[in-house]
Amino acid sequence: MAYAAVSGGREAIEESIKLLEYYKSGTDKDIETEAVENKLSLLVDRVMSEAGLYAKTYAALALKQCEGAPEEAVFLLRAYRSTLARNYYTRPADTENMRIVRRISAAFKDISGGQILGATYDYTHRLIRFDIDREHPAALQRHMRELLAAQKPEKLAPCPRVSDELKKEGLIDNCSQSDEAPHDVTVHMTKFPATRSARLQTLSRADSGFISGLAYSALRGFGQVHPTVGELRCGYVELCVPYLFDENESICIGEILITEAECFNDAGDRDCLKLAVGYGAVFGRNENKAIAMAVIDRELDAGGRYPAQNEEFVLMHGDSLEMNGFISHLKLPHYVTFQSKLDAVRKSRGPKDV
Amino acid sequence: MDKRRLTRILARADRRDLASLSADIRKMHRPVIVKAPEKTLVMVKMREPVKQSLFYLGEVLVCEASVELDGARGSAVLMGDDAEKTLDMAIIDAAINKGVFDGADRLLALEKEQEDRLMRENALHLKTMVNFESMDREAPNDLNAFKKA
Repeated sequence: MAYAAVSGGREAIEESIKLLEYYKSGTDKDIETEAVENKLSLLVDRVMSEAGLYAKTYAALALKQCEGAPEEAVFLLRAYRSTLARNYYTRPADTENMRIVRRISAAFKDISGGQILGATYDYTHRLIRFDIDREHPAALQRHMRELLAAQKPEKLAPCPRVSDELKKEGLIDNCSQSDEAPHDVTVHMTKFPATRSARLQTLSRADSGFISGLAYSALRGFGQVHPTVGELRCGYVELCVPYLFDENESICIGEILITEAECFNDAGDRDCLKLAVGYGAVFGRNENKAIAMAVIDRELDAGGRYPAQNEEFVLMHGDSLEMNGFISHLKLPHYVTFQSKLDAVRKSRGPKDV
Repeated sequence: MDKRRLTRILARADRRDLASLSADIRKMHRPVIVKAPEKTLVMVKMREPVKQSLFYLGEVLVCEASVELDGARGSAVLMGDDAEKTLDMAIIDAAINKGVFDGADRLLALEKEQEDRLMRENALHLKTMVNFESMDREAPNDLNAFKKA
């Protein structure tokens, strides 16, 4: 069914937009953008990841504007991004030497560089802390600054990838480096079969819920069942672009926080001599999304009859803007086509059924 | 000091420190803005470890600017939307290219402060270094043990 163009309703629409402000006016307290950025940082990270734009303050501002709806915030960031030119591409980001803030392996207890739990909710009691309602933010900040100042400076030991060790053993394929220019899904339509670069970019900016659900389906039996998280790492990666006046030099433009996951699976080779790896990487601290991405990456490599193994199904239905836009369009007037459908039903029923 | 190290220090620095360095340069020189600070995007290119291929992770919002100072050019690209800090970075870059920058000691001091802070942050994270004891004696949970096997 197609929607129909309608006219009129201008005043009602203007009042409707004003009413949005009414819904935010139930308190005289404000949420400062800086507070959203720092205290709802996982939500900010999710929005940046799904928007495909790393801009913390703007993501926080977008969330504040739309009452915290991630899909609306993603829409705002994507719309804003479309107004800007893209003048640079980074040198390939070196995630192997990221400044790690969390790193774990479910495959091995002892890994070179160690397992660092970092900040995680994994071991917290899921009980609402009612005292947070009376939290004193300035005191918390002061306390943490004092804590930081009291630390003895330490260097992080190098943390080679867990998969590198298995590559050395020949248990995982060690592919030679490819410098083929990546496909950019923001510029070119994805064609199927998709390139690996198109797949990874699409999954990285996909809706967290969509790919988590897909990965869950694979774990429940609609796929390869149970991969092992070989390594999950979260940390800061320095970004460099070529220097304007000398291409041989690089300049550092800052650092971004990312989460990477590598999952080990059966390779499906006839003699079971190898393991296969799925990879995930996303903006911010969002480890379930990174793991889900790694699960799906491997499912797509394996192929099969389940949804998570169907490339077109996976890559065409997970974009937050597209999926929510399409669902949202159902609210537009479909008067003409619905009337036609209604007429057809009435005709089929005949006069006696009326 | 190479450009990467220089810009790392400048990018991490507080905007007030750069404003102060830039103000010192402007006392003696008159930088001309070639490209006023403007927001633009940078696409992040990554190499994934499985097939060793390149892909795009997403874009980053940055601010860029370029200036000329007594015939020498300077430029800056900085994450975020801080136009003034970006312009100050470009001025410092131009002064260095011209050979008239005398704030090298200040930059080294800033670098030391920044590294010290990051290493203190490391210390907080290293406190969460964990050594799980496996309760399953047969579990092959050690990379080295795995290699021996």
